[in-house]
Amino acid sequence: MQIDSIKFRNLVEQHQSMVFSIALRVTGEFGVAEEVAQDAFLELHRSSERLESEDHVRFWLRRVTVHRATDALRSRARRPESAAEEWMDEQHSEGPGAGLDFGIVARLDELLRTLPEAMRIAVVLRYQEEMLPDEIASMLGQPVATVKSNLQRGLQLLRRKAATTMKEYVRAEI
Amino acid sequence: MQKFDEVQDEFERELGQRMRRVDPPEGFMERLLERAESEVPVKSGRSKVLTMPRRPVFRAWVGGAIAAMLVAGVTGEEMYRRAQQRKAEAARQQFETAMQATDHAFDHTRASLQRAGLTLSESFGIEIKTLEPQEKGEAQ
Repeated sequence: MQIDSIKFRNLVEQHQSMVFSIALRVTGEFGVAEEVAQDAFLELHRSSERLESEDHVRFWLRRVTVHRATDALRSRARRPESAAEEWMDEQHSEGPGAGLDFGIVARLDELLRTLPEAMRIAVVLRYQEEMLPDEIASMLGQPVATVKSNLQRGLQLLRRKAATTMKEYVRAEI
Repeated sequence: MQKFDEVQDEFERELGQRMRRVDPPEGFMERLLERAESEVPVKSGRSKVLTMPRRPVFRAWVGGAIAAMLVAGVTGEEMYRRAQQRKAEAARQQFETAMQATDHAFDHTRASLQRAGLTLSESFGIEIKTLEPQEKGEAQ
């Protein structure tokens, strides 16, 4: 598929919210996310000859965006893993009714940023992009079991953080 | 392990609803197109003969290596040619020495036979002619 400026513009319009949202939720910073999204599209502009279809473009953009976003994270040494691991402690055990209420939902992106990188990527691709675990595994070049494990642990962490945050939120309200 | 393809619980459903895509900031498209236009266009299609790497340092290194290989090749060819010339010269000198030794032996034999009252043709039933120096050069 040969790309020209009109085709490129159309592709950007079609995929910009997907690319930007992945970049934003993985990096957690607005400015960095825009930079990452632009880099991904510029790479598409340079490499478009190798892309064969719309599905291929979408798949390619998602993968490149995730890679560029993780590169940006690492270059900024933003590593929330150690802090996030603390949440795995049993004292933050999952309560029976750990559903989201409005206050917690509003803080979801903030909670998401505290997840370890691999879990955050899996959760973003699963729940933002509605990709299945085997699709995520294929895209990231990981075993399906690894992706499922990251999803499960990511969800578990999010539930615990949401439950704790809600308690703090309720306490502050009182 | 939870089955992702099956029923999601309330938490996951709300997660999916909350994690909707968001639009990039205003001016994103313009800034992107500006960057795309400022980039040097990449040639469509790759060279089937030889593609030089883009990084200048690496390209200089490869250029130097190719030049060194060419110089080494030319030098090697010249050295091989000279060695062959030396061998040919040595062989020619050996041949001349051998011919001189043979002539000397013939002369000595002829003189001995003459002293005994015989000639080479009489002794062996053939006519043997000693070559003159000019004739030797032509024979070689």
